[in-house]
Amino acid sequence: MDFSSNVAAQLNAGTILPEGIVIVTLLLVLIVDLIGGRKVALALPYLAIAGLLVSVGLLVTSWSMADPIGFIGAFNGDNLSIIFRAIIALSTVVTILMSVRYVQQTGTSLAEFIAILLTATLGGMFLSAANELVMVFISLEMLSISSYLMTGYMKRDPRSNEAALKYLLIGASSSAIFLYGLSLLYGLSGGETQLVLIAEKLVNADTVGQSLGLAIALVFVIAGIAFKISAVPFHQWTPDVYEGSPTPVVAFLSVGSKAAGFAVAIRLLVTAFGGITDEWHVIFTALAVLSMVLGNVVALAQTSMKRMLAYSSIGQAGFVMIGLVAGSEDGYASMVFYMLIYLFMNLGAFSCIILFTLRTGSDQISDYAGLYHKDPLLTLGLSICLLSLGGIPPLAGFFGKIYIFWAGWQSGLYGLVLLGLVTSVVSIYYYIRVVKMMVVKEPQEMSEVIKNYPAIKWNLPGMRPLQVGIVATLVATSLAGILANPLFNLATDSVVSTKMLQTALQQTGETPAIAISHDLP
Amino acid sequence: MNLAEGVQYISFLILAFLVIGAALGVVLLSNIVYSAFLLGGVFLSISGIYILLNADFVAAAQVLVYVGAVSVLILFAIMLVNKREDFSKIPGRWLRNVSTALVCTGIFALLSTMVLITPWQINETGPFVENTLVTIGKHFFSDYLLPFELASVLLLMAMVGAIILARRDLIPELSEENKTATALTLPERPRELTSASK
Repeated sequence: MDFSSNVAAQLNAGTILPEGIVIVTLLLVLIVDLIGGRKVALALPYLAIAGLLVSVGLLVTSWSMADPIGFIGAFNGDNLSIIFRAIIALSTVVTILMSVRYVQQTGTSLAEFIAILLTATLGGMFLSAANELVMVFISLEMLSISSYLMTGYMKRDPRSNEAALKYLLIGASSSAIFLYGLSLLYGLSGGETQLVLIAEKLVNADTVGQSLGLAIALVFVIAGIAFKISAVPFHQWTPDVYEGSPTPVVAFLSVGSKAAGFAVAIRLLVTAFGGITDEWHVIFTALAVLSMVLGNVVALAQTSMKRMLAYSSIGQAGFVMIGLVAGSEDGYASMVFYMLIYLFMNLGAFSCIILFTLRTGSDQISDYAGLYHKDPLLTLGLSICLLSLGGIPPLAGFFGKIYIFWAGWQSGLYGLVLLGLVTSVVSIYYYIRVVKMMVVKEPQEMSEVIKNYPAIKWNLPGMRPLQVGIVATLVATSLAGILANPLFNLATDSVVSTKMLQTALQQTGETPAIAISHDLP
Repeated sequence: MNLAEGVQYISFLILAFLVIGAALGVVLLSNIVYSAFLLGGVFLSISGIYILLNADFVAAAQVLVYVGAVSVLILFAIMLVNKREDFSKIPGRWLRNVSTALVCTGIFALLSTMVLITPWQINETGPFVENTLVTIGKHFFSDYLLPFELASVLLLMAMVGAIILARRDLIPELSEENKTATALTLPERPRELTSASK
């Protein structure tokens, strides 16, 4: 058999079908915009949403595939990757819904914005399923470069320029460090790029001489990943970038990009660094403690809504890291479950603040005072999403947090869980402050902005998608709490049926998590 | 040590000296034009090291991409910006320099210790690749097919992004009835304006 048919027989190209649909949608958006011009511009968001929904549908049908490994080991479409890819695609759907009006109102072109957003989605989806070092790096760069472009999309705004430049410089140096870590892995394993083979070589090798090299590789790789999930102390870019970027981009960065970061964290750490689980548990414990404390405490002092949500997203990432450190089946399942819920509540909150910004042109928390008297729907949506982010009982966020804390407690991370409880009480304070500002104020205490609140018009072009987005996320956030069982089963199932996690769990048992809990206060 | 090994060793020493010397020049010289030219020198010397490692294609690509495109681009950027600016002296600058030097020396010491104590699995008599181009091509179309193809989407988007950033936009005129619209800026008001309006 000649070379090409030999390769073609092993490709198993059907594994990347959902991504293929996204690529086709991306090209269609660019070409239709090029040919159709201004007339079809309004239809493009719906085209993109349709493509993404088809992609999600294909992800659902490829659940528990018989042979998830595609492209000779470069791609692994196992169930864990499917659920993360679906989270990223759904976050893009909601982001497009909220960006239609926002982008039009700023006078920038919508087609290119959607195209760049779809590329970022594609990068995130491939990153969640990448099973090889080159693939990890290319998809990470794809996600990062499109994020830089979207951050600087408002060209004439100095805040947007500043945010893009900061993000680009810090991001480029962090990917350089990450690449150095990957190259060390390549060298230590004697020239392997597939994660599974690297793990085999590292386990068989003489570990005494290699431990320093492996530790440096681990630290460098974690530095790259922690930048993506904006864990303290790799978070310095987050507040400025969140404040200066267009708000739909911030929504995508805080959900889609972060989900991709967690997916690659699980895959790299569990497979390639499976031999030194204790070490990365210690590092992630430190990252989780710092993120929860700093994120939630600094959020208290913020006056701008976007900055507050930036710090709150750092704190939320800290909670998710508890699940990663727990290292048990429940730990990983709780991460997936929390990301699913976080998708709806955080995007809901962002849709609401976008609506407020579009109507009033303001982003200050104090300007929300008395909103209830003028716009009850917006008040209701924002209140429910913020209360859910804070973890108030009947809402979805409460169950997500309880599950993470329970998984952590089961693995013996008592200190970490107690700290998580204390910091989530702190977080409830700053979320409730906004809710109180909107609901409790008397009519005479209204802010100037609210006094001049424009009449509610849903029939402006691009307002309907935003309304659909708010209502859908609102329904999902309120129902996901009461009907959490299907989501919960989905999360558990994805972890139980993923081969990579099961082999790792059998090897390590659940002892290392208990061993490091003594380091905590 | 026979003649071939001797030549190889000497040329490695010369190239390594060039790389390190030019790289130090890039960082330490204060004139940015010198830095840009020395950066080209660094890239050239590195491509020499690639040739020593039998990687002829990578060496050629290094010269084409880095020397031919990246360095020239940097020089163009410097020429276009052509503006002399005298920066004011920062008090306590030596403290920053010293601390930076300390951190860099520390990282250098750590990494070189790691390089020296790690038992690298080097295959000294590995198969000599007759034609590197064919081997690289075979890898691109078998086990590295997906990243190779994905890079094309990445490049497409980089191109679209570059055009968006560089093109001259018509600034939309703001109509009277739609005051909340903005011209290519964020709809959120800057913080100073918000506090001034109170």
